[in-house]
Amino acid sequence: MSGKNAAATVNGTVSYTPVDADFKWKNNAKEIGIDENFASQGFWKDVFVRYFKKVSAVIGLALIVVITVFAIIGPQMNEFSYSTQYLDQKNFAPRIAALERFGIFDGSESMKTTTGSMKINYYEEKGLNDLYYWFGSDNFGRDIWTRTWSGARVSLIIAVAAALIDMIIGMSYGLISGYFGGKTDMIMQRILEIANGIPRLVIVTLLLLVLEPGMLTIIFALMLTEWVGMSRIARAEMLKLKEQEFVLASRTLGAGSFFIIFKEVLPNIIGPIITQVMFSIPTAIFTEAFLSFVGLGIPVPQCSLGSLISEGFNSFTTHPYQIIPPIVVMALLMLSFNLVADGLREALDPKFKEM
Amino acid sequence: MGKYTLKRVITALFTLLAILLVLFILMQLMPGSPFNDEKLNADQRAALYTKYGLDQPVTVQFFKYVGNMLRGDLGVSYNISKNTPISQLIKTRLPISISIGGYAVLIGAVLGLLLGLVAALKHNTIWDSLATVISVIGVSVPSYVFALALSYNFGFKLGWFPMLFSPNDIFKSSVLPSISLSMFTMASIARFTRSEMLEVLGSDYMLLAESKGISGFALIFRHALRNALIPIITVLAPLIVDLMTGSLVVEKIFAIPGVGSLLVNAIQSNDYNVVISLSFIYSAMYIIIMLVVDILYGIIDPRIRLAKKGGD
Repeated sequence: MSGKNAAATVNGTVSYTPVDADFKWKNNAKEIGIDENFASQGFWKDVFVRYFKKVSAVIGLALIVVITVFAIIGPQMNEFSYSTQYLDQKNFAPRIAALERFGIFDGSESMKTTTGSMKINYYEEKGLNDLYYWFGSDNFGRDIWTRTWSGARVSLIIAVAAALIDMIIGMSYGLISGYFGGKTDMIMQRILEIANGIPRLVIVTLLLLVLEPGMLTIIFALMLTEWVGMSRIARAEMLKLKEQEFVLASRTLGAGSFFIIFKEVLPNIIGPIITQVMFSIPTAIFTEAFLSFVGLGIPVPQCSLGSLISEGFNSFTTHPYQIIPPIVVMALLMLSFNLVADGLREALDPKFKEM
Repeated sequence: MGKYTLKRVITALFTLLAILLVLFILMQLMPGSPFNDEKLNADQRAALYTKYGLDQPVTVQFFKYVGNMLRGDLGVSYNISKNTPISQLIKTRLPISISIGGYAVLIGAVLGLLLGLVAALKHNTIWDSLATVISVIGVSVPSYVFALALSYNFGFKLGWFPMLFSPNDIFKSSVLPSISLSMFTMASIARFTRSEMLEVLGSDYMLLAESKGISGFALIFRHALRNALIPIITVLAPLIVDLMTGSLVVEKIFAIPGVGSLLVNAIQSNDYNVVISLSFIYSAMYIIIMLVVDILYGIIDPRIRLAKKGGD
């Protein structure tokens, strides 16, 4: 009531005539307190924070990144290629330049002979003092370092491709089955039950007997086995969501089934689906390794972790260093994918009961 | 209950039929016929064709094939041991595989329960973390990695157990394969027991039991574990099935004369008939286990039965 637009008092009532200055924009952004304690966070930011709080999940992620980087650049890091054989350099023990001074990885290995064990060093015996096989060389004189990482590359490509294709097939199957319900659901679920009743290994094995072995065939075979779990999850999520208001709203606005399934419901169930994909990658790695082990895997001279393990197995009592790198890489890969999947599951769905 | 059981049995039968159809189609696609042996003359071949019904239309052949398979006539092996009936090959091998699988389930279940119990009772201590680490490793590292590690250290280096299976000392040679197969079962059961026990321990009836003065052994085993066990049984079935597949490579590593190594040999020597018969046996075992377990769930826990009826 003060200032230059002083109010006039007429007959005891206060009257006031507003002027232009009263309608000026009051810039009070600084006065409005933003509630920082309860500020809403984006869903993904929340997930991110929860994920990185879990130590095991972070370790898993770091391991996957490291192995993937080595799978990409590892085979180029030395002068050997995965298929070149130097038959005069068979079964060389690991030798690393920086470590050989300390008496480890110096290219020597102990051999059991009839008179006890003796130490031999092929590098010195053959006068190849400038030669370094970091992980040793195999039965055909191929560098195990190069082969391990190119094997890891093949295994990763197969597993990731199979998991992604599984995701697309299983997800669509489950979503469609759950959305339409009724007879469609009944028939689709009976088909699924029958498909699920056949042991996976049987399907994969039989398919590979009939088809030409190779990377694409393995991906195809893996694709046929893993989609069942994915479709179950997608269907269950669809059943939960399809009665909700936002689906009804979309339908009222004239959206078609296809739009509702893939544009309305799918973004809401992406969490469980990502988790399932992460869980199916180690399964795919394992299945591929199994196939290679029984001889149905990648054709030679290409290699995968499984085929390296199966090669190393033949001489693992005499040259144990040949089987260690692929086995360690595979165990770490499966472990880290499981850790990441566990972490993601908890981060995406905090209410989930850990099992 | 009766209706649910019937439905499951019918589904199982259809699955079996579907598998037989798939196997039959694969048989037709496989390169080479079993009866193209050059030593056979036309009459012998015709006799064989009549015996297996190959001169009849495909549909009749299929039903004849189904009949033969279900009666246990699995055909003969071509490469592994020529003209030996496959059922004879399997007869001696099946008990070995089943006993090693059985030991593995037993070891896995007992150790897993104990590990899970310790983890739950000592929640958030070093024991809990240790049990979690063990179970994560057990779940994610494939059984044949354990098999190779065990066979190298305890079989080759220390020589405590035979590296390869020997029929003279079946018990000692079953130790390493059973342990390596049991790791996955143990780890999964430990994880499951832990989470179930944590839930049960926090429940009101445990508080009641405790306030009644029950303590120690009786409290944990009679009140807590009993309630936690039902969900744990539900995870056993898929684990038993996983054991079947895991055993293939493990049997190969330890040279166990079981069904798994027979399948691996058959694959490696292109003995299609053996592969297909064994696939049938594996599928049948799988279906029967799943069927029995599904029906058992219904008997053990009525909630599962009702949920299945409602949510189907």
